[in-house]
Amino acid sequence: MKNVGQSIEHDAAQGHVTGTAPFLEDLPLPSDALTLGLVYSPVACGKITSLDLSAAKQVPGVAAIYTAADIPGHNYFGPHFRDEPVLADQQVLYVGQPVAVIAAESAHAITLARAQIILNIEAQEPILSIERAIKLERFIGPGRRIARGDTRTAIAAAPRKLAGVFHCGGQEQFYLESQAAIAYPGEQGQVIVHSSTQNPTEVQHVVAEALGVAQHQVVCLCKRMGGGFGGKETQAVLPAVLAALVAQKTGRTARLVLTKDEDMCSTGKRHEYRVEWEVGFDLQGKIEGVRANFFSNGGASADLSLAVLERSLLHFDNSYYLPHVEMVGKVCFTNFPSNTAFRGFGGPQGMIAIENIIHEIARDLNVDPYEVQLNNLYGTEDRNTTPYGQLVRKNHLPEIMSQLAATSQYRERRQAIEAQNKSDVLLLRGIAIMPMKFGISFTTKFLNQGNALVNIYTDGTIQVSTGATEMGQGVNTKIRQLVADEFGIGYDRVLLMPTSTEKNPNTSPTAASASTDLNGTAAVRACETLRGRLAELAAKKLASVELGLTESPECVIFEAGLVFDRRNPAAKLTFGQLCLQARLERIDLGARGFYATPGVDYNRETGRGNPFLYYTMGAAVAEVEIDRFTGSLRVPRVDLLMDIGRSINPAVDRGQIIGGFIQGMGWATAECLVYNERGELLSHSPTTYKIPAITDLPPVLRCDLFENNDNDENVARSKAVGEPPLMLAISVWTAVKQALSQAVETEDLRLPATGEEILRQLYRRANVAKSEIDAVETATNSVAPRAAVMINSPHSN
Amino acid sequence: MRQHLVLYVNGQRHEVAGADAFSSLSDYLRNRLRLMGTKVVCAEGDCGSCSVLAGRPESGKLVYRAIDSCIQFLFQLDGAHIVTVEGLSNGHELSAVQQAMVTHHGSQCGYCTPGFVVAMTGLLENQPAPSEDDWRCGLTGNLCRCTGYTSILAAGTHAASQAHKSLTERYPNEALAAELQLLIQEPVAIRDGSRSVFSPTELKAAIEFLETSPTAKIVAGGTDVGVQINKRVIAPTIFLDLNRLQGLQEISLSSKDATGSSRSVLRCGVRARWVDLEPVCHEHAPEFAEIVSVFGSPQIRHVGTIGGNIVNGSPIADSLPFLFAMEAQVEIAGPRGVRTVDINDFYHGYRQTDLKAGELLTGVQIPLPTRAQSLSLYKVSRRRDLDISSFTAAILLEVVNGQVLEARIALGAVGPTVLRARQTESYLRNKPFTESVMQAAGEIAVKEISPISDVRGSADFRWQLTRNVFLKFFHQRARTAAKSA
Repeated sequence: MKNVGQSIEHDAAQGHVTGTAPFLEDLPLPSDALTLGLVYSPVACGKITSLDLSAAKQVPGVAAIYTAADIPGHNYFGPHFRDEPVLADQQVLYVGQPVAVIAAESAHAITLARAQIILNIEAQEPILSIERAIKLERFIGPGRRIARGDTRTAIAAAPRKLAGVFHCGGQEQFYLESQAAIAYPGEQGQVIVHSSTQNPTEVQHVVAEALGVAQHQVVCLCKRMGGGFGGKETQAVLPAVLAALVAQKTGRTARLVLTKDEDMCSTGKRHEYRVEWEVGFDLQGKIEGVRANFFSNGGASADLSLAVLERSLLHFDNSYYLPHVEMVGKVCFTNFPSNTAFRGFGGPQGMIAIENIIHEIARDLNVDPYEVQLNNLYGTEDRNTTPYGQLVRKNHLPEIMSQLAATSQYRERRQAIEAQNKSDVLLLRGIAIMPMKFGISFTTKFLNQGNALVNIYTDGTIQVSTGATEMGQGVNTKIRQLVADEFGIGYDRVLLMPTSTEKNPNTSPTAASASTDLNGTAAVRACETLRGRLAELAAKKLASVELGLTESPECVIFEAGLVFDRRNPAAKLTFGQLCLQARLERIDLGARGFYATPGVDYNRETGRGNPFLYYTMGAAVAEVEIDRFTGSLRVPRVDLLMDIGRSINPAVDRGQIIGGFIQGMGWATAECLVYNERGELLSHSPTTYKIPAITDLPPVLRCDLFENNDNDENVARSKAVGEPPLMLAISVWTAVKQALSQAVETEDLRLPATGEEILRQLYRRANVAKSEIDAVETATNSVAPRAAVMINSPHSN
Repeated sequence: MRQHLVLYVNGQRHEVAGADAFSSLSDYLRNRLRLMGTKVVCAEGDCGSCSVLAGRPESGKLVYRAIDSCIQFLFQLDGAHIVTVEGLSNGHELSAVQQAMVTHHGSQCGYCTPGFVVAMTGLLENQPAPSEDDWRCGLTGNLCRCTGYTSILAAGTHAASQAHKSLTERYPNEALAAELQLLIQEPVAIRDGSRSVFSPTELKAAIEFLETSPTAKIVAGGTDVGVQINKRVIAPTIFLDLNRLQGLQEISLSSKDATGSSRSVLRCGVRARWVDLEPVCHEHAPEFAEIVSVFGSPQIRHVGTIGGNIVNGSPIADSLPFLFAMEAQVEIAGPRGVRTVDINDFYHGYRQTDLKAGELLTGVQIPLPTRAQSLSLYKVSRRRDLDISSFTAAILLEVVNGQVLEARIALGAVGPTVLRARQTESYLRNKPFTESVMQAAGEIAVKEISPISDVRGSADFRWQLTRNVFLKFFHQRARTAAKSA
């Protein structure tokens, strides 16, 4: 039986349920290993006037304390620009910015040392909102622009016009395993780093640069992460560099694991956005021209913000044909930790911006938003090129939408809900449907590559190493299945090894939903090489002069752990026997595979090209129930339909779809990042930052896969699944909007649609409803710069 | 007096003295016993990753319940049998829950998984055939960021359909229960440098200790003290542990109040746990039962006490609006004997109570709503479960022939303490029970409060909620009346 297509258990499930799958904090270390702790800036913006470590260094158990001055190589790093310091260098740019690293024999010594550090900072006025950054024209990097047609004229000529400003908040990744790294020195100036990272290659590069050693002197390994969600794509680098620095300088093993509060206070999140929009449309709701100005909250350095912004622009069309469109975007500099990748990577912000507009059009025309969606949906024959010029091939959106509308009984339920709302004074209900199309590939062309190493042993078992990192998404499980099928063996004969730059160099981050596509294909290619060699050998062994069978590698079949010539199936070798024979006959049983995604290219100067290999598509219907007096929200029912091609592992994919959806629901309805006027994060732990709990899971949640066998661009005709389902949760937010449309004349619902935000919309009156951003703005303006500030942990409030 | 702790971990006996007695259970398990399956994420009892089962003797048998090991001190666990994720499987043989989690793809990244497996096992230990709703309510103390929970629910349902092999079979039960029962009848005192903890068995000893050590941190469930210590808000050195004080965990119901009038009164000892209160409230105070059911999480309710919630004195304490509206009497023991205070007079300011040095809260008497009284309790939070309130309220009205005879309004999270809206109450008395009267009441109530903006909500939000609960109360009653008509 083939492994691909089966719901095989997660690669590490047995270890997970018994608690024996170790994470970095669980690994045994040598008895002289050092524990690391960071010293953070308590100020959002300011100049370090003095940093006195002398008393802290005298604390018993403190081995060393390092600052920017101790970094032998480059102190600055970053995927776009080298604009982010490992340790603050004279200037501090956000509350929670690492200023120094303490290496000690115990966590207790670190606590004592922290209290002895005297850090004086001359505070300057921070920028704590997008609006403030716009006003001061503080932007990071060049803006982005994608346009088609004559938008101004199209909007001017359209029968109806609308305009508005839309806000959506950020989101904490909230991986359960905080940022962590272990490093120890090797010979010849080498350093070995175990990192909880989605990007071992970047860790290797930055460690080498910061330490002033060459790349071949650094090995970075990652066995698993306790969740990543994008938060460990670039930001795992910092703990890794600091652990490596201590290992290099002290010659001892060093481990840094952030606490949850430290992690949340000091690392970046999903970008908050402000979108200014204008649309012209006809009386059927068909969009004739649309313009959107995106401003993202980038934080204090570039990180991946420009790429994230670009993906927002590339997904503003969502599933709709926009004949005349102009999208421009800017990343705002603010004094917050640099915002970074998070599942969806700008896609959610782009998509919700257009879904908001769709609902505004529907309200204006007093029609069902579903009609507006259908009137704008990409066609299969025409109206099917994106604003950036890529053809939407194999467009299943019309079928997906009509199938889901039927199975979810969208129209009937909508009618029933609207009738019910008229008589129910306690509860207000809403329902919304949405399509979703997400482009698969890195929009940075060179990242679309993967490599794999496949080693076969003489008992017929296989070790596979790829550049993909396992963060729970099941990439190891899927690659195991793909490899097992290449040799017709059971998946238990294949193991996925820790990701290491020693085995897989120059890899791309495990990101963009594409890690199975890239690394799985590379592994299959390595297998093809090996199978060719083994088939040749098997052909020789299975050839028979008596039966007239010549040596024919093309007739060799690998099946059920056996190898045979299909012309004479009776004569069989076990796969293990064949592998042993190969070694005896000096045939190489190891091979590498490489894959570069064909045909993807995108010119960001012109905003045109084919950035994506294919699109993953889907649709969702969400129903919500709002307490009219408290704003409390329930989601009683959700229906999802996803086209993920032919699933390699339906159970793993289902887990990605539902997990992604619920995570998106958290973003859309509940997860609130609250800062005070000094730029300190107040919601920095699960007590104050509420991700969905099990009772938030809709009691009825239907998740179906759309039958589709036409994705021949990708390995095993599968489609990437990691990020797309997150965006289906926008339907929950639009369902809130739809509910509100039945209760109030106008609204400007923000995201997240918390109870507080919903109540603000239901009771808009002069004495209430002062926006949070305005409040922050005023407070920021009125706060006098504080002079010398004593060091404090970021969660001392 | 015993000067060491005795506890069992996965069937192994451990005697603990010195610094370890003051460490958190999770630190002890991970750093001392190297049991790394127990993960610590938040260190504040809000994610459940560190869940372990604590087996304690109840009526001669060990009863296992999930607790958050990050906010339990080892000294609280003297006389308990701790079962960690490592103690659930039998060699390589997975337990039914573990196997179901594998088969149903209940783990993705795996970091929350040990905590879930433990909490699920705890649920099955105490509830043989849980419904899907039981699973949901039973697992609110565990966060997962990967799965979206569906696969975990499927695993639970499947595991329940298999023969769950109880921990009472896996580990010796009666013998262990008997030994532990004896252990918890002895007082314990442990000292480590400047730190000390005293766990008396008699109230008198506790009061005497408080007289000599007035700064002692009093710990029962410890679910708040543990958080404050982990987050370095406080660093107490002397502890008084109430966990083996006899009698103070009892819950009883009487039919007469303090004045001798005929009235149902619920009396709870100071360390009556929420888990024990929940079924009693379901029967006798259903409105309060709903609040109790979303109080913290199962892990918190398994150790948290009503006394802790009262003494902690937070303006957002979930139980207080109910206690205020019922005019509960708190019992206080001190060197000069016992006194009772109306809870409405118990708080003097933000987290300041009427307790004097050397005094100990011993219990609370709660008159329950009469048939004529109509009570509604409100808790608004960002998330339904395992969330601290943004706003709380209790509205109790006695309406006869459409006239309001009595009104008691308690509001939380709108001032430094939970407060009674006295002007609103007097406005409401002798008014007709109508929508416009209730709307007017809301407008008066907002003048009686002084909410602030904080991480859980803005002042505007709290003002609006205060206005709205009066109308909500009215419409809820109208609906009930319409239904019964």
